[in-house]
Amino acid sequence: MSSADWIAISPLIAVAAAAVVVMMLAAFWRRHAIVAAASMIGLAVALFCVLPARSAAPRMVTGLLAIDEFGLFYVGLLLKGSLAVAAVSYGYLRARGRDAEEYYALLLTATLGCVTLAVSAHFVSFFLGLEILSVSLYALIAYTRERARSIEAGIKYLVLAAGSAAFLLFGMALLYAEYGAMGFAPLAKALKASGGANVYMLAGMALILVGAGFKLAAAPFHLWTPDVYEGAPAPATAFVAGVSKVAMAALLLRFLTQLGATDSRPILIALSALAVASMFAGNLLALLQRNVKRILAYSSIAHIGYLLVAFIAAGPMGAEAATFYLAAYMITTLIAFGVVAALSPRDRDADAMEDYQGLFWRRPWMGGAFVAALLSLAGIPLTAGFIGKYFVVASGIGSALWALVLILALNSAIGLFYYLRSVVAVYARPGEEAKAADRAPGFSLAGGVALAVLGFSLILLGVYPAPLLRLIQTAIASL
Amino acid sequence: MSLLWLIPALPLAGYLALAFGGSRLSRAAAAWIGVGSVGLSALVALGVAAQFIGTPPAGPAFHQTLWTWMSVEDFKPAIGFYLDAMTVVFVLVVTGVGFLIHLYSVEYMAGDEGFRRFFAYMNLFVASMLVLVMADNLLLLYLGWEGVGLCSYLLIGFWYKDRVNGRAAQKAFIVTRVGDTAMALGLFLLVWQFRTLDVQQLMTQAREQWRVGAGMATAAAALLLGGALGKSAQLPLQTWLPDAMAGPTPVSALIHAATMVTAGVYLIARTHVLFELAPAAQLAVAIIGAATLLISGFSALAQRDIKRVLAYSTISQIGYMFLALGVGAWSAAVFHFMTHAFFKALLFLGAGAVILSLHHEQDIHKMGGLWKRLPLTFWTFLAGSAALAGLPLITAGFYSKDLILWSAWSSNAGGPALWAAGLIGAFLTALYTTRLVCLVFFGEEKGRVASKPGWRVSAPLAILAALSIVGGFVETPRALGGIRWFGEFLRSALPAAPGVEEAPERMESAMMLIASAAALLGIVLAGVLYLGMPRVVEGIAKRAWGAAAQAFWLGGWGFDWLYDRLFVKPFVWAATVNRDDFIDSAYNGVAAFFSLLHRGIIRTQTGRVRWYAAGVALGAVALMAIVLWVR
Repeated sequence: MSSADWIAISPLIAVAAAAVVVMMLAAFWRRHAIVAAASMIGLAVALFCVLPARSAAPRMVTGLLAIDEFGLFYVGLLLKGSLAVAAVSYGYLRARGRDAEEYYALLLTATLGCVTLAVSAHFVSFFLGLEILSVSLYALIAYTRERARSIEAGIKYLVLAAGSAAFLLFGMALLYAEYGAMGFAPLAKALKASGGANVYMLAGMALILVGAGFKLAAAPFHLWTPDVYEGAPAPATAFVAGVSKVAMAALLLRFLTQLGATDSRPILIALSALAVASMFAGNLLALLQRNVKRILAYSSIAHIGYLLVAFIAAGPMGAEAATFYLAAYMITTLIAFGVVAALSPRDRDADAMEDYQGLFWRRPWMGGAFVAALLSLAGIPLTAGFIGKYFVVASGIGSALWALVLILALNSAIGLFYYLRSVVAVYARPGEEAKAADRAPGFSLAGGVALAVLGFSLILLGVYPAPLLRLIQTAIASL
Repeated sequence: MSLLWLIPALPLAGYLALAFGGSRLSRAAAAWIGVGSVGLSALVALGVAAQFIGTPPAGPAFHQTLWTWMSVEDFKPAIGFYLDAMTVVFVLVVTGVGFLIHLYSVEYMAGDEGFRRFFAYMNLFVASMLVLVMADNLLLLYLGWEGVGLCSYLLIGFWYKDRVNGRAAQKAFIVTRVGDTAMALGLFLLVWQFRTLDVQQLMTQAREQWRVGAGMATAAAALLLGGALGKSAQLPLQTWLPDAMAGPTPVSALIHAATMVTAGVYLIARTHVLFELAPAAQLAVAIIGAATLLISGFSALAQRDIKRVLAYSTISQIGYMFLALGVGAWSAAVFHFMTHAFFKALLFLGAGAVILSLHHEQDIHKMGGLWKRLPLTFWTFLAGSAALAGLPLITAGFYSKDLILWSAWSSNAGGPALWAAGLIGAFLTALYTTRLVCLVFFGEEKGRVASKPGWRVSAPLAILAALSIVGGFVETPRALGGIRWFGEFLRSALPAAPGVEEAPERMESAMMLIASAAALLGIVLAGVLYLGMPRVVEGIAKRAWGAAAQAFWLGGWGFDWLYDRLFVKPFVWAATVNRDDFIDSAYNGVAAFFSLLHRGIIRTQTGRVRWYAAGVALGAVALMAIVLWVR
């Protein structure tokens, strides 16, 4: 490996090193604030390393990792997301008292898995990244072990993720058996040479979609989502929903684009089936739900459905729309779960609708941020979510996907019901008992700053998306 | 010029600071923010205007595009501003008059519990109005248009604890909405035809592609006219403005006299190309203007509430502007907009000072003899009234109104009938204005003056009074110096009225004399009637026909009565009959259908991991089946 290679993967190295440092700190110097600060600094350093890495790009490192504008864009996005999660976690864990230090080591290794996924261009790094992420998530989800639900969620996720990883692995094996290649680029070349899709290729791709669909929580692989979102501690849910899905989607985008899979009709139909199923399943399941974390879980299923529409839309337009959508989705999700984390009392998570009754009158900024996130999820103008949805619809129309776009519009209408119902709750007059509980135990300065920055970005992207769009265009052009 | 964006951004920032600072701000801080943001904006506007006049831009206008909101094929709405000569005039008036009224409000609203809310809304209004007049594309223009509508609603119903005010706000909102719908359709029509949002491109393309009298051009112009009628309170959508006086008086001055209600005038002047292509629509503008100015002139004569007199007078004066637009005298309309903004803002603020000093008494028959008690208010009010009445030679209102009357006579699109309507209107204006002054300031004292206005009220009155006098010397008839500054300045944005320049000077002078005579006749007649022979007026009012006319005019020609029978009552009746809305049952059906689906699908969430794993496996099978089956 040349020095340029090292520079190119320096963000990954920085995250890995931060994980080790935090593990050591947790062993010898158990101070929550120090450990949290160290992990945030580590993530910030990694984020800073993206700049020199960009100057070294584009570059294949060891045939496994493709350091290009696309990968680095997502690395930057994921690191920012992790930073926000770490900041939000601090107050949440402080309110819970003991044994918070190892959490950050897990968060950092999970982040490492995510950034690996974002730059991997090979089945080996794909699988490695996925497993680093998954194993860290098992423990993160079950971290509040005094709550039975948290343990239950961790075990459910472990069983199902391991099972779906087996599907994924089998799919990879089928492709390797047929084409004798595991890197995306050689695979694409072999695919072209063999003159298009055959049974092995299609079966392998379908199995890989099962594995990826599970991680993304696309229907019908979505059943775990509400239980895990509800059971996991709120900041960990934020990571699962906001960060890990973005990583998986980035990999899928690269994989499908490089293999030219979006030209293959069977794959497109499979993706369309996933999209339609996810949109309907997510929105219908959320409709009368009264648990906020479960509402957000179902809503995320629906959003993956919308996102897949952009995947199906051909060409750079679709990829750009998908990338913008993911950025907007990540910001929005992190705000929503960030507010949940900040409001959570010591012994449970603030996930009942009653916890949000009159939130705006008790804590106007927090209520405002939550409403902004809900409106962004619903796709109301002047929020990032609107622009994201707008681009997805535009890319769908550009590729004449009329049926999908109509279904998307119908589902947006269904979705409005439960988003607006939550908004109404936030603005309702608070009840007496809610007034008595007028505290945000999980709130910290770091979390507040993170929420403020995220909220500002949410509005900024809604009114002035041009700079991010330019960045995304260069990223997609490098793919 | 690069600071152009600051002009709307400053009041917007003021609004945000006031809205989010909320109750944490002291009253003094709120006043500083509220007045200061508009004041700074006015300063920037002055600087920009000076630069615009000193070093004019290469084309007719200066363009500033901040950023493009989104860009998909033809749909590229930009956050961009367009500054031509007409915009300069509007921006100066909006920020300048706006600043004076904000300053006045600090004293007027001093004791109000909604002090911060008031300034937040006022700042938002100024920002929206500036966006409206500076927008370079239809989307931004529409944003400003709706923004001022929203602020108007919020401020009419500012004292929302009184039901009447809330109703007035709703009435204003709903009536203007009728016009707004027409306007939105007009905008859609334009975008659909020309595939661009840029106003100037639209106008160029319309001129190139549509011939004069084309059906499409007439439709577009008529729809835009609908929007203008609603916002500017012209026939038949004028009924909301008198009720809008329920808001605080500075609001009436700023929004319902000086600026927002002239948005319709701005819209038509901005899209004058369309109206030139649609002579039928343009004729409609002129006729509506003439009819409105007459009807509301008579109504103003019968009102008892000082603010309602001024409200009807505003409708009537905007009628003049529409008349000017209708005969193609675009710059005359803008000229009258400017002078009207000065003297009508002045009159409202003066009325506010009177109302305040009399403990919120608004009935002019309970006022009187105030000229000794409130000398400054009296003299400034007199200046404003003289301008409104069109007192010859020395007032701004005389010059702008005379120019409109002359254009109505001499323009190719005008004619004797339109001119005669304007002339009768001028007589009526003088009559009701003088009646107002006589009843309020002369005669016996009826109310007791409780307080005298402070400097924050006096200074705006004095400045506006000065402007009401000298503001007209920028455009004078040929017999009186023939100054053409204003028209020349606007020439790069608005063409001259065809035929006006060519008409003989002797005719112009004769017309001027006739108009002066009409105004003087009105003033003298009202003076004699209300000061010298009040018995005669009472006698007329006691006769059956006199009382009937008075009641008819007091009620605004029965439009409210008519609309109540025609629209409100049937609507309420239909709503009552249809209490269990049969259309709702369709929606409820949809909702029930989806909740049924929800109840079905929620059963899949059993919480059992074996079932979830089965779900993944079945999904995998299904996916495999799909790809292999459609292969």
